[in-house]
Amino acid sequence: MVLADSESAVILRLRGPLDLKCQLDCIDEVPMQKAISRTFEALRLQVKSESCVLAVCNSPVLIWPNKSVFEEITPDAPFEDIFQFIQTDDQETSGKRSTKKKNRKGVSTSVINLSLMMEATKPGPASAPILTRTVQKSHLLCATLPMDCAVWSSWSDTIKDGCERLMKALTRQLFEMEKVTLQCMKGTTLRVPEPLHFLLPEPNGLVTVVFPRGEPDKELEAQRRELHGQFELPDNRPFFRRANAYHFPNEPYKDGYLRNPHTVLTHPTLDNGKVYLVQGIYSYHHYMQDRMDDNGWGCAYRSLQTICSWFQQQGYVERGVPSHKEIQQALVEVGDKQASFVGSRQWIGSIEVQAVLNHLLGVTSKIMFVSQGSELASKGRELANHFMTEGTPVMIGGGVLAHTILGVAWSETTGEIRYLILDPHYTGAEDLQVITEKGWCGWKGPDFWDQTAYYNLCLPQRPRVI
Amino acid sequence: MGRSYIVEDDVEGYLSRLCSQLAGPVTGLLIGQSTVQRDFVVMTTRTPQNDESADGGKSVDKEWVSEHARQVSRMLPGGLSVLGVFIISESDAKDTLTTLRQLVFSVENLISSERLWTPADDDVTDCVTLHVNPKTRKTVCRTFDVKDPKSVAKPADWKYQSGVCSSWATVSCCLSVDLMVPLPENMAFTRNMDDCLKEELKVWAQQIERGVCLIDGKKLPEDSELKAGQKKNVRQTISAQLLITPDVQTAADVVQRCGGCVSVRGAIHSRAFLHSNKPKAKLAEKLLKRDIVSTVATRVQMLLEEPQKQNEENKGRKQMEQSCLPRRVFCPVKSTGPLSVCDYQFSDEGLSEMTDRFKEMLDMDAAEEDLDATCEIIAEVIESEATEEEEPAEENEMLDPWRNNYIGVAMATAVALLALAASIMYLSDV
Repeated sequence: MVLADSESAVILRLRGPLDLKCQLDCIDEVPMQKAISRTFEALRLQVKSESCVLAVCNSPVLIWPNKSVFEEITPDAPFEDIFQFIQTDDQETSGKRSTKKKNRKGVSTSVINLSLMMEATKPGPASAPILTRTVQKSHLLCATLPMDCAVWSSWSDTIKDGCERLMKALTRQLFEMEKVTLQCMKGTTLRVPEPLHFLLPEPNGLVTVVFPRGEPDKELEAQRRELHGQFELPDNRPFFRRANAYHFPNEPYKDGYLRNPHTVLTHPTLDNGKVYLVQGIYSYHHYMQDRMDDNGWGCAYRSLQTICSWFQQQGYVERGVPSHKEIQQALVEVGDKQASFVGSRQWIGSIEVQAVLNHLLGVTSKIMFVSQGSELASKGRELANHFMTEGTPVMIGGGVLAHTILGVAWSETTGEIRYLILDPHYTGAEDLQVITEKGWCGWKGPDFWDQTAYYNLCLPQRPRVI
Repeated sequence: MGRSYIVEDDVEGYLSRLCSQLAGPVTGLLIGQSTVQRDFVVMTTRTPQNDESADGGKSVDKEWVSEHARQVSRMLPGGLSVLGVFIISESDAKDTLTTLRQLVFSVENLISSERLWTPADDDVTDCVTLHVNPKTRKTVCRTFDVKDPKSVAKPADWKYQSGVCSSWATVSCCLSVDLMVPLPENMAFTRNMDDCLKEELKVWAQQIERGVCLIDGKKLPEDSELKAGQKKNVRQTISAQLLITPDVQTAADVVQRCGGCVSVRGAIHSRAFLHSNKPKAKLAEKLLKRDIVSTVATRVQMLLEEPQKQNEENKGRKQMEQSCLPRRVFCPVKSTGPLSVCDYQFSDEGLSEMTDRFKEMLDMDAAEEDLDATCEIIAEVIESEATEEEEPAEENEMLDPWRNNYIGVAMATAVALLALAASIMYLSDV
């Protein structure tokens, strides 16, 4: 629960495992809760002790926050100074002030990762170990708490202050974990508490919530409702589903797809015009991906995949992006196509996209029809409204092509319009520079459309749930 | 290209004395440090007399020599290890070589069977053998690669030098130990506890190996050279720190049934010695971590080897017992600069028992005043809740004569434990 400062450019992230080990003599509820609370209290003391160490990842910087020992840096130095110690794989930035600070399009956020460690050594003399053997039928609680704290900081903040805030966040997280563990306790079944970070709209910023691991989203609706109330968020769109968890800038996506390539573009400025964009995160799906050669026929399938990826990453659905076969199978299941359709290279259009979204994801869509491409220029208001209220990517099919519309720039007074297009016909590698420079993701004018062909647009509607 | 051993002068004197003393073959151990960069032999000790041996010690007893090596290995701090075996005998060189080969393999197998740390790729796997002819005083030095069962003898250099370890560095630290392991539900035998504890020690050993080691407060790059041995005859101590993170538990069930638990809590003093020939930070870290793991494992092993107090099965009632692990006592090795050996003192032993053991195992004449018992303190133990007040006194009387013959204890205890296990089987009604 830390306020995001629009000028702050660095997130301090502290992660590390803590052992939760506790012998339970009695598994009745009250004694068990007491034993667990005692163990959490011991952990809180442990992180406040002088053996607690913060190690800045990929650097020789070490900090003992509870006894103010700073190795390699001074406590009053600003956080910027830490960057010169961090070794990155990128050769250009090694040893020098990182280029991460420079703004690309939008605020570029940097992350300093720290590891939580405990010092096992201490000043002597040593009190020789004692072996204690307890024989008694009992239970043992043994789990690892995945501590994960994140706080905003500004570049000029001192290292000492930043560490103090991290340590406070760590203690607070232990309290929250204790609460969640006790709340979700059913007999001897315990769920490990797991912190997740969410980037909420201003003024809330980056917020950390502890959820019981393994509990599916649908069981946590009550908790989400309470959180929506607490942070004064609208109750018709999800902010706290697991898929909504904040993706830290320095973590690559394991699946290799590009996310939101449009964010690096410079958006057009029109007289009295405004830009209306897709809200949230989508993946760029296009020809030849997943070792599927769909060159020449798969464009609408790819656009559909991009839309599905949006619903998954906003937390509306848990199922992954469907393959071409799965899409075709879905159409057979709803009776739209014959069984022979599966495995074929037949095109699909907006109506099929609507049907699949409904069948596989439970998502409804509106269809917009224009009899001529030239009419699209007049659909500014409708498209703007769509992006404002639904914010979902739009699939457009017509002529012989399908595309995805990610936004519009539209002037109410002049009627000027531009369309932000994500082109599924791209056959190359996931190279952001090529994709944006060659216009595979780019702003197009009204002449982009075939002026005489008719077009159907599929506008997916966001389900009103949290 | 064979190995080249640089040997402390005192070793020559010791071997010479042995040559003129005894009839019949004399075996013993060669102790030192063998690294990729250099090989040093700093101490030797003859195999103690085996009073129970069938032929009065005329032939070489492989098991006896190996058991001696195992015991000695426990008395060596980090950086020092049993590098090989010597034999003083007039026999034919070829026969002796075969004997030496057998001894060296047997010794290495026994010592490595107790190790909890994983060998590193850059560890030296050559062991050294030395054959001394007592009449001619000729010495023949050969090495065998103990990783290769088919290895043949390779010639090696054996050079005496004075003050070999005078400027060796000492790395040390005091480390907290906190282990807790559940015991399985059907707890009938003490043996179960032994196995559980040993498994947990293996996990703990990996945690130590993964730990971040700081030398003089800093995390140094692996290959950086430590400033050891730059000044001759100056004692150098390096302080080390270890930062650890717990293992990530992956068991699905967070709460498990158990029949109790065993915990080991306290702290230990760890020490390792580094040669003075531009040692690298990597070596210091490796030797210290190995000493940490060895000293805890050795003590637990020693405690488990002690005859257990027999407790009757007390169903339902909680039984708690506490035992102190023995504390580490150091003894300086005379005229070798900073080096010391160590032994472990149980709370009911006196320092005289320690000096006796140093004499028996390492042929060292040490006085009680020489011993350094300040690194560790024996902790207070609370009274055990099981009822056997009369027994302790009797047990101490029984144990004392055994303790004097240290090897005897190890052998006899194994027999005793079996007997105990057998009697438990008879008495308990599981």
